[in-house]
Amino acid sequence: MNCNEAAPMVVAHADGEVDGLRGHSLKKHLKECATCAGKHQAVLDLRTKLRAEVPYHHAPQSLRDRVLATVRAAEGRSSVARRGTGERWGWLLSGALGGCAATVLAWFVGTAVLEWRNSEDLATEAVTAHVRATLGGHLTEVASSDQHTVKPWLSARLDFSPPVRDLASEGFALTGGRRDYLGGQPVAVLVYRYRDHMVDVFVRPQQSRAATPPLRSIRGFNVARTTGTAMDWVAVSDVNPDTLTAFVQRLAREDASP
Amino acid sequence: MTGHSRFEEQVLPHLDAAYNLARWLTRDAHDAEDVVQDACVRAMRYVDALRAGDAKAWFLTIVRHACYDWFRRNRPPEIAADEGAIDAAVDTAALSPEQIFTRGAETRALQDAVAALPLPYREVLILRELEELSYKEIARIADIPVGTVMSRLSRARALLQRSPLLQAIDGQSSRGER
Ligand SMILES: [Zn+2]
Repeated sequence: MNCNEAAPMVVAHADGEVDGLRGHSLKKHLKECATCAGKHQAVLDLRTKLRAEVPYHHAPQSLRDRVLATVRAAEGRSSVARRGTGERWGWLLSGALGGCAATVLAWFVGTAVLEWRNSEDLATEAVTAHVRATLGGHLTEVASSDQHTVKPWLSARLDFSPPVRDLASEGFALTGGRRDYLGGQPVAVLVYRYRDHMVDVFVRPQQSRAATPPLRSIRGFNVARTTGTAMDWVAVSDVNPDTLTAFVQRLAREDASP
Repeated sequence: MTGHSRFEEQVLPHLDAAYNLARWLTRDAHDAEDVVQDACVRAMRYVDALRAGDAKAWFLTIVRHACYDWFRRNRPPEIAADEGAIDAAVDTAALSPEQIFTRGAETRALQDAVAALPLPYREVLILRELEELSYKEIARIADIPVGTVMSRLSRARALLQRSPLLQAIDGQSSRGER
């Protein structure tokens, strides 16, 4: 093999792409020819430097957890409804407390615990619903940035009329809405886009006295809650907690009849 | 096997590769996470189409698509450039490497030089040198012919070898030998 034949293959050989007879005669040529050997060595040298100096970015644990949670959420979507109530009571019955003691304690701690527990469930349910809609590719059943399109669509399918506002001027662009379920009841979901993030806002007629806790992080999603204009508001997104909280409070504060 | 356990067993082991690629393409940790999450959602949806033994290249193809969609939404200028024009510009610049690495050229480390490569070169270089994929696999992921993989790799390497820092290192290590 001479240089003219070898030259086009030298780099490919350094990349492990030349084998068999051609690889064999190429190796022979590299031993005899300093020019081709130099080119070959240059690729290997650069590779050594790259692997030594250029960082390999490993996936952060938080990302891994979030992806896994998303898979598991998708896996469990068929049994979500069934699991909901079980977990709620399972929490009271688990741990050191059994049967009667749990009942007695629940009597005293009573509503506070149950209300707290319910609010936890609500946040978890909202996250599950958000993930399910994202995975299924049906975040919006009605896709429109026009509040006068989204609001009547939702009102026609619910027994209440949710306030709908586009806040594109503040970075939150209304992209549509859908009907979903929280606590077994149909609720309105307003879908917004904030930069590259999707935000689900669950809206239902006010049932809780106060939204506690107002902020939660579940499976890598932030859940911000508030009450206002006679509605419960639950926002779910991977938008940062402060921005999400300010946004949901802004929605709840607004005049209910745009 | 259900779709979800298929995803966990065959796709999830390549999460590091997915993140590494997304991180090198977007050059931002947070953006890379967004891209990988998007890619995972897509991969879960299509995991039934995955053939055995093919998972890494398959998943990275999806990650790359997610990256480019992300660019389209967030940084359109990065992918707007005509690739032929990039090749031509690079070949012209070959005569005067300082035109490419102007900013802080003396102190620019190799990793900065990689980050500064035009996107079409950066992706083939990362897939070959960090992910150790074959020309054929890279061709499939980047959706280009094998010949184009080779020419982009060779341009990327030439650019890195001409970066002043590398030249300085080479000058020291091989002085008098060449
Ligand atoms: Zn030769």
